[in-house]
Order: sequence, then C-alpha cells, then structure tokens
Amino acid sequence: MAGEYDVVVQAVRVPGSGYVELVLESPELAQAVPGQFVHVLTPGTLRRPISFSRISAATATAAILFQVVGAGTAWLAGVAAGQTVNVLGPLGHGFPVPEPGRAWCVVGGGVGIPPLFAAVQRWGGQVAASAILGARTAAGLVMVEDFAERGTALTLTTDDGSRGEAGTVLGPFKRWLRAHPDGQVYACGPTPMLAGIAAATRGHRAFLALEQRMGCGIGACLACVVPVHGPSGPRYARVCSEGPVFAAERLAW
Amino acid sequence: MDMTVRLPRGLTLANPVMAASGTFGFGPEYGAYVDIGRLGGVSAKGVSPDPWPGNPPPRVWETPGGLLNSIGLQNPGIETFIAQDLPFLRESGTRVIVNVIGHTVEEYQRVAARLEREPGVDALEINISCPNIKAGGMSFGHDPDQAYAVTQAVRAVTDRPVMVKLSPNIESPARIAEAAVAAGADMISAINTLVGLAIDRHNRRPALGGVTGGLSGPAVKPVALRVVYEVAQAVAVPVIGMGGIAQVEDVLDFLMAGASAVMVGTITFQHPNRMLAIIDGLPAALAVHGFSSLPEIVGVALPTRRQESGR
Repeated sequence: MAGEYDVVVQAVRVPGSGYVELVLESPELAQAVPGQFVHVLTPGTLRRPISFSRISAATATAAILFQVVGAGTAWLAGVAAGQTVNVLGPLGHGFPVPEPGRAWCVVGGGVGIPPLFAAVQRWGGQVAASAILGARTAAGLVMVEDFAERGTALTLTTDDGSRGEAGTVLGPFKRWLRAHPDGQVYACGPTPMLAGIAAATRGHRAFLALEQRMGCGIGACLACVVPVHGPSGPRYARVCSEGPVFAAERLAW
Repeated sequence: MDMTVRLPRGLTLANPVMAASGTFGFGPEYGAYVDIGRLGGVSAKGVSPDPWPGNPPPRVWETPGGLLNSIGLQNPGIETFIAQDLPFLRESGTRVIVNVIGHTVEEYQRVAARLEREPGVDALEINISCPNIKAGGMSFGHDPDQAYAVTQAVRAVTDRPVMVKLSPNIESPARIAEAAVAAGADMISAINTLVGLAIDRHNRRPALGGVTGGLSGPAVKPVALRVVYEVAQAVAVPVIGMGGIAQVEDVLDFLMAGASAVMVGTITFQHPNRMLAIIDGLPAALAVHGFSSLPEIVGVALPTRRQESGR
C-alpha cells in the first residue's frame, strides 16, 4: 500500500544518453499498477514524480526510468546501486486492465514510454499489444528492445527521422486507429501528443497518463491540476490523486 | 516537559506545532502518512462560501530553498468541506482550524456564520493575505481599515477563537495586526507567502500559469521572523508564527521571536512526518537551550525581555 519508504537501489541502468533507470527493491512498490508513480525525495524543495517502467512482484522490485532535465533528476542520476532513496508511493490511479478481445495499442512519446512498457509487461500476455513509440531523436526512444523482446508489434518515429518514420506518433497512430476501429489505446507523452490522441479517439476506449508540475503528490496541495469535464462544467482535477491516468473523454482540453 | 499551549477563548493545543493552511489539504489527504491526532492542530486549506476553481497550471515551481505557488485557493466551498472533510478532522483528535477566504467582507462572514453551527471547529483563521487572488483576498490584508472590517464582520458572528493571517508583502504588517486586534481578533498568524515570479527559460515565459506566485519554504524564514518579531511587540495577543520551518531549531527561533505556537507547511511536501519529528524533538531542544518550560522561551529575543534578562 502507499506509504513513505526508504528503498535500496538494486541496479542502475543507462538506457540512452541522458536517461537513467533505477531498479528499486521494495515489496510494496512491486504491488503497483502500471501508470502509478513514486514521488522521489531529492535535495531540492520538491520531490520528483516518476512513473514505473517495470513492476515485478516475483522479484519484489519496481523500476523507474527518467530523463535528466534539472538539478533534481541530475542528483537522482548520481545515485549508485546499493544506496537508498526515499519515496512516497505507489501513488495515483494507474491504467485499467485492457479489455480482452479488443485490439490494444500503446502510444508513448519520449519519457512517456516507460509506463507503457510496464503496462505491456503486466497485461501483454493476455491482450496482444501494438506499440507506437516516438521521440525527438533516436536517443529518446527508450525501452524499444524491451517491447521487442515481448513480441510487441512496433512502430517507431522520430521528429528528425534519425530512427523509424520521420514525424510524430500521431501519423502512424491514426493509421492504426483506422485499421482497428474498435481498438483501445493507452498513451503517455507530451501534452500536444496526448491532446492529438484525445481528439482522434473520441468514442474509443482511450486512457492517457498525464504529467504536471507536482507538489505534495498525494492530493493535498492542488498544484498538479488538469481541466476535466464535471457535472457543472469544467473543473480542475488533481493529476497525482485523481490521475495520473484519465479516460481521454474526461479531459477538457 | 509540558508542551501544552493555552490560547485565547479556551483554545488548548497539545503541542505548539500545527500544519499550515494550504499545505495539508482539507484534512483526509495526509491521513495515510501522518498520525494527525498527534499534531498540535491542523489549519485546513482556505474555504469560501462557494467553490473556487483556482488558477491555471502550472501552479508550482521550485526555487532555491523555496517553493513558488499559484494555486489560487481552489476549494469545493463550505458545504462540501463540511460534508466531506470536516468529519474526518473532527474525529482525528487534533485541533481543527478552518482557514476562511472570501472576495468580500460578506463572504468571509458567511463562512464564519455557517461554521458556527458545526461542532468540531476549534478556531477560525481569517486569510486576508493570499497573494494569488487578485480581487479581494490579499487586498484586505494591505489596508488596516479593510482588515478591521473583515475581522469585525467575522467577530460579529462567531464566539470561536479567531486568528487573522497577515501578508508580508506590505510596509508594516504590524499596522494590519493592530487593526485586526482592535476589531476583535484573538490571535495573529504570520506569515502568508511572499509574492514572486519565476521564468520558464525553455518556454520563454513566466513559469506559473497565474504568472506571479507566493514564495514559501526555508528561503522566507528570515522575513517571517522579522514580521513575527515586529507583530509580537505591536499587539498583546498571541502570535502564531510560520514561514520556512523545516526543523526543530527553526521552531525555537520563532518562539524566541515572540510566537506562542507555530505552523509548518512546505517541508511537509518532502517529509510528511517532519512535523511529528519536530514535536518529538522539541522538549530536548528546549532543554539544550536551558528552558524548563515552553512559556519560558516565548519572546525571549524581544527587546523588553532582553532588557529584563540583561542579554
């Protein structure tokens, strides 16, 4: 269950330049649902929310994969195997179980890719997944080999054309959707990409994992909000506790 | 050592460490992480008569030693607060302080009057100092006459202990404190956040959706201590001090500067249980500095007390 834990870093991996994955030893975090996240203590004044890239109840571990973007993630990238990090988690609401018998596509942009691998790792054995993964450059296409190892049908895109199709994930995604009008979609990535997916999936089963600047991580400070449709018009919902996974149709973008 | 704090109108805290409004939600959120019953009190997030939507995101930005926020007092309104959150706080065993906000004097009064019918509210904190609300809100905290009017209107409808929360974003917070006390405030709480701005260099614009925000965290502690020190000399009522408290030594500083109790906020985001650690460490910290009781330390750094003790 969610709590504050000091967890040992079992292994540190560098899946690409500027990206780091930490494998955390924790029976509690190993119970997480894909799409959930941990709020990691760093030397700054705010924790850093990072979603799970892998979850393994069998080995009582869970991993987080992040991009080094500022002082907090730079510090976290310097943590060595055997050291301890303090986390709050697992936090938020993760992805629902995909519906069997319905084509399933996961769409990940850059550092939004990891939680989708956690979903394929958890449910890919029951529901065959296609993955459309994109990044600005080839270096940002993390975890591609992990998807490939699981036999996931892969389509890759990069903005600069350095790997896969040139352009964003939206082109191949719209093609997939036309071929699978009854398909279900899980996505995570930058806001313009998610907005494009939300617009394309009206009437579909689509779930988006959102990112937002976060304070407490547990629903108290009302910092990490996103507009959602409410009974009396749009309202701001908390990404940390009401999300980070939202049904696409709920979002009032 | 007895950590009890006795405040006006029978308000008694088990210890002088409370959760600061805006950082501890409406009550239940931290329930899974913190033994709330052990806190001296909880000041719930600001509540208005009707729901307020809050400001557009992003709403927080980390700064050196601080946190800039522009939440905009999002809240579900007093009726939802009473129905959904107050029962939890009431049962938690801590002292419940409701932070009251409004756009007009009448709105502040409506919240106070509505709470008068509810059991389990131990005090009201009148928030006339939020920097993220353009209409009303902070303006009441910038003008002694308006501070007087709001306090008087609340005082007229409640017998509960009332504290008025000051803004540091003005020339003389002490003048506002004097006006609030003249209008019937039982206590003063200080400080609210300092107005600031951060730039998102990558996007070449102000970082916060609300453009400006309120700065909190360790960076603001010297400002907070200065305000507490001035206000404690200006008014005869107890002062509740806050601003950047992160460890037990910070609490000693606020108590010496004239605070009778303190509130802890931003550090809770990093360490949900830090308030409890501070509470546990306070008796030993007082003893280390030669105090044998809690009242003994309150205000020792003030000029009058220094003269008495020859320090």
